[in-house]
Amino acid sequence: MNSLDFSIVFQSWPYLWSGLLFSLALTAAASVIGMILGTCFALTQHFEVPVIGRIVRAYIALIRSIPLILVLFWFFFLVPIVLGHLSGNGRPIPIGATWTAFITFGLFEAAYYSEIIRVGLRAVNRGQFEACQALALSTFDTYRCVILPQVLRVASPIILSQTIILFQDTSLVYVLSLTDLLGAASKLAQLNSRLVEMYLVVALVYLAISSAASQCVASLRKRYAIAGSRR
Amino acid sequence: MLQDNTARGANLPSAIVAVEHVVKRFGHFTALSDINLSVTAGEKIVLCGPSGSGKSTLIRCINHIEKHDGGRIVVAGVDLTDRVTDINSVRREVGMVFQSFNLFPHLSIVENCMLAPMKVRGLSSEEARERAMGVLRQVRIHDQASKYPGQLSGGQQQRVAIARALCMQPKIMLFDEPTSALDPEMVKEVLDTIIGLARDGMTMICVTHEMGFAREVADRVVFMDRGTIVEEADPETFFRAPRTERAKGFLQQIIH
Repeated sequence: MNSLDFSIVFQSWPYLWSGLLFSLALTAAASVIGMILGTCFALTQHFEVPVIGRIVRAYIALIRSIPLILVLFWFFFLVPIVLGHLSGNGRPIPIGATWTAFITFGLFEAAYYSEIIRVGLRAVNRGQFEACQALALSTFDTYRCVILPQVLRVASPIILSQTIILFQDTSLVYVLSLTDLLGAASKLAQLNSRLVEMYLVVALVYLAISSAASQCVASLRKRYAIAGSRR
Repeated sequence: MLQDNTARGANLPSAIVAVEHVVKRFGHFTALSDINLSVTAGEKIVLCGPSGSGKSTLIRCINHIEKHDGGRIVVAGVDLTDRVTDINSVRREVGMVFQSFNLFPHLSIVENCMLAPMKVRGLSSEEARERAMGVLRQVRIHDQASKYPGQLSGGQQQRVAIARALCMQPKIMLFDEPTSALDPEMVKEVLDTIIGLARDGMTMICVTHEMGFAREVADRVVFMDRGTIVEEADPETFFRAPRTERAKGFLQQIIH
């Protein structure tokens, strides 16, 4: 390796860009699915809903104790077989790599977000619940208008940190032969024998995005600290 | 008109709050034993007594934040003991002010006051805002309406908490040691607000150790100790000539 030649990066930029877009879309979709499901999961724990609460608890424990890559394999290889059995004819029903990625990441994140939100719910002062009771607010309004907004505010830095990890984890979709930013880069790198340049540039892109998001976390923390000089 | 009033008076129970033989336990600890208290509309009751005597528990039972274990509580004609009772129908008529304010930190002052009228009373946001600003003006804090609770002093926060409860237009107000979390210089502004409310004829039950306040507004002082009502009298009689030893001892302690 005599000299670095970054021209390859500029020539192949559209391909890298499409990979980056996929990574970002997957991160966005998974965090939205994860937030909605995770909040529901956390509420089943918070309300100690019989049966469902236990099932969710077990689900969260399971997901959090196995690697994401294994969950991806399960969904890609096992769920089609299960669906096939359920449909009756026994033949596997493929769900496709893209769908697998979106569903898996969403379900995986839900387990992590749920834990963050559950802890956040426990941190809300009991007086907040009592004030809602005294004002005759329904349970639904209590959570929607008073409790959850506070939980999300307090938890937003941790949720965003988790989302940064999620963004980095999207690179695992290579096992499903999907092309994310890293996947695009490594294909180009091998094709053109420009491994160093490609991996350097890709690292810089990850660094730029993740540190921008971290900055965002920091400013959120700061803003919350001012607005939230709570008693 | 007069006839109409008497006819309605005859149909309504004379007490707006009736507490009969109420018992409340926390595990093995009996917080309230055989409490009887009747409050008529417009009456101002001051509840006092040493800490742990059950006074806070009693007013928390009146709007069912604590559930009593025995006896009967009837508020504005609704029996809280009935299983079928919609508790929120009672809570709509009962305002409560807490020792630690319990304002919603993520909502501005005016939004704190608008939330329940909109969600519970079904007011539009314009109506709720108008009502909230009116009540905030009444407690003299309308110029802070767009701030957040964390930006206000304790006394101001407690006045907002009073305003928030008043926006529901309750028939009864419960105060649970409204000034004991405040710095001394802020006690007066909160008490003045409550006194103003009393002058307007609000029915209120107030747990407090502010004896000057009790003398000024109370129709009756109820002294509690160890989960029972020990003595009940008008403020002059109670402060000048308490009948029981326990009340004498308590008064001596808080005067010093």
